[in-house]
Amino acid sequence: MNEISPRLKIVGADLPRKDAVPKTTGTAMYTVDVSFPGMLHAKVLRSPHAHARIVSIDASAARDMPGVHAVVTRDDLEGLNPTYGYFIKDQPVVAIDKVRYIGDTVAAIAAETELQAVAALERIIVEYALLPVVATVEEAMADTAPELFEDEPMGVVPAYGQGASGARRIGRNNCYRFSYETGDAALFDACDHVFEDRFVFSRDQHFHLEPFVSVARMDNDVIEVWTSCQNPFPLRKELARVFQYPENLIRVQVPYIGAGYGAKNNCKTEPIAILLARKSGRPVRFCMTTEEIFLTQCQHAAILDVRTGVMADGTFVARSGRIWLDSGAYSDASPLVAEKAGYRLPGPYRWQHLDIDCDCILTNTTPAGPYRGFGGTQAAWASESQIDIIARALGRDPLDLRLQNLKSLGEAYVPGESGVDSDLRAGLNLVADRIGYAGRASGDGRGMGLSIGFKDAGGVNKPAQARIRITTSGAVYLECGTVEIGQGVHTAMSQIVAELLNTELDRVRYPALNTDYTPFDQGTNASSAMVVMAQAVQQASLEAKRKVLEFAAAELDCEVQEIELDDWSIRKGNESHPLPPMIMRHYGGTGYEFTGEGFFKPAMDHAAPLETQCVSWEFGWGAAEVDVDTETGLVRLIQLVVSGDAGRAINPLVCRGQDEGSAVMGLTGALFPCMVYDGAKLMNGNGLDYRVPLSTDIPDGFVSILQEQGYGPGPFGAKSLGEGCMLPVASAIANAIEDATGVRIRELPLTPERVLAAIDQAGK
Amino acid sequence: MSGELAFISCVVNGVRQELHVRTEEMLIDVLRDRLALTGTKLSCDLATCGACSVLMDGKPAASCATFAWQADGADIRTIEGLTAADGTLDPVQQAFVDNSAFQCGYCTPGMIVLARTLLDRDPNPDRAAIRNWMGANICRCTGYEMIIEAVEKAASMVRADAE
Repeated sequence: MNEISPRLKIVGADLPRKDAVPKTTGTAMYTVDVSFPGMLHAKVLRSPHAHARIVSIDASAARDMPGVHAVVTRDDLEGLNPTYGYFIKDQPVVAIDKVRYIGDTVAAIAAETELQAVAALERIIVEYALLPVVATVEEAMADTAPELFEDEPMGVVPAYGQGASGARRIGRNNCYRFSYETGDAALFDACDHVFEDRFVFSRDQHFHLEPFVSVARMDNDVIEVWTSCQNPFPLRKELARVFQYPENLIRVQVPYIGAGYGAKNNCKTEPIAILLARKSGRPVRFCMTTEEIFLTQCQHAAILDVRTGVMADGTFVARSGRIWLDSGAYSDASPLVAEKAGYRLPGPYRWQHLDIDCDCILTNTTPAGPYRGFGGTQAAWASESQIDIIARALGRDPLDLRLQNLKSLGEAYVPGESGVDSDLRAGLNLVADRIGYAGRASGDGRGMGLSIGFKDAGGVNKPAQARIRITTSGAVYLECGTVEIGQGVHTAMSQIVAELLNTELDRVRYPALNTDYTPFDQGTNASSAMVVMAQAVQQASLEAKRKVLEFAAAELDCEVQEIELDDWSIRKGNESHPLPPMIMRHYGGTGYEFTGEGFFKPAMDHAAPLETQCVSWEFGWGAAEVDVDTETGLVRLIQLVVSGDAGRAINPLVCRGQDEGSAVMGLTGALFPCMVYDGAKLMNGNGLDYRVPLSTDIPDGFVSILQEQGYGPGPFGAKSLGEGCMLPVASAIANAIEDATGVRIRELPLTPERVLAAIDQAGK
Repeated sequence: MSGELAFISCVVNGVRQELHVRTEEMLIDVLRDRLALTGTKLSCDLATCGACSVLMDGKPAASCATFAWQADGADIRTIEGLTAADGTLDPVQQAFVDNSAFQCGYCTPGMIVLARTLLDRDPNPDRAAIRNWMGANICRCTGYEMIIEAVEKAASMVRADAE
């Protein structure tokens, strides 16, 4: 571990979170709590069919129902760009020509109560002409499959650098392909062994407890929307495009968010709430039910074919991969997830050749989008499972084989990339030692497995801006666009500011986001806050501090080097000069505010595959011990040890919560049923039938170890955190199952039925 | 029977409330929309996740699945009612603060109410008992360990207060 500056007094302390009292007393305000006089409630009509052409819609009877103030169908989109999406604008505000999955939005109603809106929806008559359905990736790619989009939707392919490329519509229902290649493919021929395996990844639903919700109203000519959204500035841009409205006449406000895990990016409830508010002239609240969130967004299911060439001594040489992501009915963030799944498939190991294609395939199911881990979860499942397969085939211990091939600290990930900023071997040895890997007894249903989760963190080419304002009395405003979605960013970012300004944490206030005032930010995602936004916040703090010191030095007629800022006084030798009287003497009795601006963006670099070098590499080391009941196939988790590297933990308790929360989220994809489809119909899309981990599902042997290796690019050596520890969980458990039973499961989730079938098969 | 009104009288956070409620109206709607007690949160709406938990005559109740008329005669405490009038936090609230046993906070009122009912029954629960009891509610953020530790801490605070 690195020696870290010992002089810090606020950074590194387990201070109570700034949102602690509001969130434990019930006074924290969320979008669900936003209410205005005369506010109406929206409900939407959803398609009962997975794929159909809309022949006609007659909503006239609905308009006359009690309490109804506004109805929106495809006939009410005049003057709009009625489709949205990240790179590909293919998702309509309400269905236009077709419905593409069960749950697709067909019409919307605003009424005085939700019950009135629901009752009125039943009066809308829709005539559908059914179309053939493609429920799976295989069905959607078949030569005879119907295209979800006959015509190419508007969209772009982002620019890429060395070795990477993107393409659209290169096959049936293929909405995007990301490719990455480096090194000579002929290296496969020189390998002593080549392993080819297919891995299958199921899809989880985020199950954020606060549903998708927004409240929209017209404030004269300003469209105001309160929303549970983790990227309000891109949302503003998208709303401006959809409504053909000036961005500065759209105000997005984000109070506390009841979690998102990736789901709360971009348009969800907002376009419909705004449309209805404009039509009715009233504030409109659109709050989905839990059943509806299952019909709005989910993780990407995936098929991953991985081919890996190694030498007899275990040296990794070459890897090629074909990945198919199930994008569901609309492209949403699929191109970005494809980029990440493809780019992360190699894992943090040394390779001489890589060749990876990741395709996004549209199916008539719930649209898949960003989900914590963002393609890295799918990639780690395949990559880390196959490494154990290779180790066992070579007669090597999986730990040793990993240690042999892991990249060293500072070693570039691929040509043109930045170097890894954690000691990977140290992290792996740490979890292996903690779980007792070396002395384990394998077999008879008991075994252990290891895995390393990995992702490039901090987003791609992500700019961040921040502003610090300090009032006459020394009260500090921290203005930046990272939203408090549960990760503790208000606290951590404020601790950084308090440390830099040498003041108390209580002095720093982090106002909730309002796009009218808050500096621009691309979004709270990609584990970027501590490595991207925090660098802007650091710069803003230091600039504000510099202005204060220059002001004070002039007032005290001395050099800046002679004075220090000390809790809103100026210390000069053994003299202390309180700032407020000094400020009022100079600026007048009504006072003044010092401000500092901060900006950070990684440099453009065409030698880097994604056009900017990765800001920070996020890791999650995992070790699992299982007890497999070979009679039933039930996998009992005995121990789960996870570890992330915070670089420098700004608030260790907050970091611990991130690591443990993400690990348990990873358990969902590993051991729980996930989304179960019968054809194109989701069978368990509600809070009762859908199982997520409960406290009673967590073993006493669940431990997280927080590392602070000190190599991060963020303030005080901070790194990205919060996604890493979910990435190794499924493969660590699958590897433990093989250690326990000799059976290799290549398909998630690791249900008793699947494990038992594999055991029975192996016994034949 | 939609549209009929029932008269109910109940005590909410120590204050007597007398209301006419529609027969189909749920307790959570009365609490949130009519009494402005928005700390109680609606999520699954199927009495499964526990985000809407309130104390009803000392027992945890899913306010999303309790008709308002069922509250007639009941003594109800919500998350707001656990905090003393002078702002002093309940030991469970204080332990959640001290241990950062929450993240997004949406499940937190329900978790705190649930933990409160455990400590009312058993001021000295072991870790297994806490894990089992808290298994009634869903938290998707924390992984539960920090919640369980907060309940352990709250129990020790309650015991210390009693001595």
